[in-house]
Amino acid sequence: MLAISLLTFMLSVSVPGDPVELMMNGGSGDNGQSASKIAGEQAFIEKRHALGLDLPVFYFSFSNQAIPDTLYRLPKKLHKANLERLIYTYGNWPEIEKYYAAIKKLEIENLKVPIDSSNAEPRIIIKDNLYKLFIHDDKGTIDTVFSNINNSINKAPSLVVLKPLFSDLKSAFGNIESNATPLKNKIPSVKWYGINNQYHNWITKFMVGDFGISYQDGRPVKSVLWDAIRWTVMLSLLSILLSYLIAIPIGVNSAQNKGSKGDQITTTFLFILYSLPSFWVATLLIMFFGGGDFFDWFPSYGVGEVTDSMNFIEIVGVRLKYLFLPLVCYTYGSLAFISRQMRGAVINSLGQDYVRTAKAKGLSQKVVLWKHAFRNSLLPIITLFANIFPLAISGSIVLEIIFSIPGMGKLAYEAILRRNYPIVFSVVMFSGILTLVGNLVSDILYAVVDPRISYSSKKN
Amino acid sequence: MAKEKIEKNTDSEQAYWSYVKRQFRKNKRALFSAYFVAFLAFIALFADFLANEKPIVAKYQGVTYFPIAKSYSVNLGLSKWQTPLKNINWLDAKYDWAIRPLIPYSPTTVDNFNMQFVGPFDKQSIKSIRWKHWFGTEKIGRDILSGLIHGTRTAFLVGLVSMSIASLIGIILGSLAGFFGDNRLKVSRASAIGMVLSAIFGFFYAFSSRSQTISDSMGVSPIKGLFQLLISVGIFIAVCGIFYLLTRPMKFIPLLNKKTSVPIDIIVQRLIEILLSIPRLFLIIAIVAIAKPSIFLVMIVIGATSWTEIARFIRAELLKVRSLEYIEASEALGYSNYRILTKHAIPNALSPVLITIAFGIASAILVEAFLSFIGLGLPPEMQTWGKILNEARGAVSAWWMVIFPGFAIFITVTLFNLIGEGLSDALDPRQKR
Repeated sequence: MLAISLLTFMLSVSVPGDPVELMMNGGSGDNGQSASKIAGEQAFIEKRHALGLDLPVFYFSFSNQAIPDTLYRLPKKLHKANLERLIYTYGNWPEIEKYYAAIKKLEIENLKVPIDSSNAEPRIIIKDNLYKLFIHDDKGTIDTVFSNINNSINKAPSLVVLKPLFSDLKSAFGNIESNATPLKNKIPSVKWYGINNQYHNWITKFMVGDFGISYQDGRPVKSVLWDAIRWTVMLSLLSILLSYLIAIPIGVNSAQNKGSKGDQITTTFLFILYSLPSFWVATLLIMFFGGGDFFDWFPSYGVGEVTDSMNFIEIVGVRLKYLFLPLVCYTYGSLAFISRQMRGAVINSLGQDYVRTAKAKGLSQKVVLWKHAFRNSLLPIITLFANIFPLAISGSIVLEIIFSIPGMGKLAYEAILRRNYPIVFSVVMFSGILTLVGNLVSDILYAVVDPRISYSSKKN
Repeated sequence: MAKEKIEKNTDSEQAYWSYVKRQFRKNKRALFSAYFVAFLAFIALFADFLANEKPIVAKYQGVTYFPIAKSYSVNLGLSKWQTPLKNINWLDAKYDWAIRPLIPYSPTTVDNFNMQFVGPFDKQSIKSIRWKHWFGTEKIGRDILSGLIHGTRTAFLVGLVSMSIASLIGIILGSLAGFFGDNRLKVSRASAIGMVLSAIFGFFYAFSSRSQTISDSMGVSPIKGLFQLLISVGIFIAVCGIFYLLTRPMKFIPLLNKKTSVPIDIIVQRLIEILLSIPRLFLIIAIVAIAKPSIFLVMIVIGATSWTEIARFIRAELLKVRSLEYIEASEALGYSNYRILTKHAIPNALSPVLITIAFGIASAILVEAFLSFIGLGLPPEMQTWGKILNEARGAVSAWWMVIFPGFAIFITVTLFNLIGEGLSDALDPRQKR
């Protein structure tokens, strides 16, 4: 469990894209005045702080001597990546830090210069070029940027104030180059951050049931998750129930009449059903039955509107209309799978000695089949139960996207696309927990079905 | 004497496989599927010669060219297009004569006269039946059949490569776990420390501190990136070697030479459990969604998440094999663990793995199709079955864009499933139907 949490956490930290930037719609203003620019930056930093993203990621980090242990404090991922590249090439953080500060200072002072007709264009050129400095590290680009800025400063007399800052910047870069210590990159080092880190904060909160806040709409993850999980659980329970109800008689029947024409037809049919890709079937169903040019029998998207004035039967009616096609898709695959398993298991147990004994005792065919063979072939079916929850979530990703049902799968998918990590974590943790629960349930069922299995004296 | 023994050994091995072959041949459905898969593999292999806007052979301005064959070497960066061909419009160029492929469209060819979803039975504005879009076109006039043919290649590539990765991981981990169990793999403390340290330092020097160089050259071209990656692997091996040499003298200290057992079985089992408890599709989407689209990534991710079944099977099989007399005999003969494992134990445990691989290919193809269906994973210039299905979602009446690619996916998946079934019948004589 701990390992799962670590895995998902690591995965999310190592990805490109900054959640705060995404949240603030592309982040701090590209077109703002100096005041709004600074305010934007300030808001950005505050937001990061509120979400705890300005803390170190983990208890410790393993890197090299050239990387400073304060790099995580930098708010912007793109800038950070660029600085890392600079460190990689030159290896002297103090100089690089000064260089970064010089860029920032020049950027702000540039925005502070009052606009007039003569300096409007050079100012924009300077701004764009400075922006390039934040994200490029190769010497060629930096040199062109420097010469561009130099030209622009000389164009407008009001920009003279920037000159000393610009020469600072230039000398800062010169210092980086002259004092380069790339060998520092080759010395490994471990840095210890203590327990005030992102992972620690998140996992301790998770333990006590605080899942955090969704980045998207600011709602608590708990309520978002609860809304979604209801749909998924309802649909998958319904479909599991349906498929077991249909599959078990089919499987037993075709095992009983093994080799007959009817059995051959059912097996082939089930095999085809089993191989049909569910997203294709879903698309086909929507195309042919959900409007379009063919039959307009069922609505193809969503779960329908329910108003307060409806009574229970009406609500069920509306929901059923919307959920019929998804339910078909959910069910047919597991139906085919379970019947095939059931058939194999029953055939297997019909060949056992105890069935022969039962027949020899003169028990009726029915009793032999259901009481002796069937019961003994339930074990493999129960094993399936353990895997049903992860399968249900995987399956729900596919079908909920296509039918746009607001369940766990769709939630998770959208959370991934939007880097909404609190939700991603929680879904993964939940499915992990659900799998464990599934394992437990199937273990208990084993013992119920087969008295020979007891856990008190289990050896393996 | 020894030679005789070896011959006998190979004889019986051949007998086993020829028996399996015979059994497999008896299963008509499986045999048919195997031939059909071979046929599809042929299509995948020669997709460029079956559906391409370039002619196979053409005489243009008095010179004879082989444009399709040439395009391979151009794509590999080995040669450049001859000057008259540089900016040619392959479709409409005035050739002296040309032999075109069966389908004269590439999956990327845009037919300006048949845009906006022209169906196979609709009226198509084409020069002659030779130019017909047999399976219709999509929104911007690209040929569906050509897309399907090239999609076969993507599907096979993803299925085969990802399952090779999966079986490599699965067989190694599963056989280690099954063969050594929790207490048979013994290493001295010195080498255990050495291994851990060399893994950390090797990773540091080979990958962590070279990450920039690798990603830079990956950006230039995949071949250069691969070259840098190879250098990194070399560094890694070198670091491991240095640590190996360093730990040798340490073995003279008794405390460090004490043997400890590595609980490899538990480690592998936990790994499998972790992977299984995260919904696989979820994990794949999570990784693929955030990275740059590339077919390699898709193959690696699918492979790295689907080895658990293979590992479990081979572990169970090796647990069985491990207690058989012939392993004991080879231990008594003083063979090394490595030799017993690779020469004697694993070959006897491979048959159930073949079955899982066959089913695994089917599911890998399905996953890839689904990824492209929701618009993730593969770069836009690569046409796949899932992508055509995805485009069809925006056009409800374009049934040909749903039926054909979906059918292609369905058929391929069914074929591999049938082969898997046939194999499991053929390899396990006890389960005769």
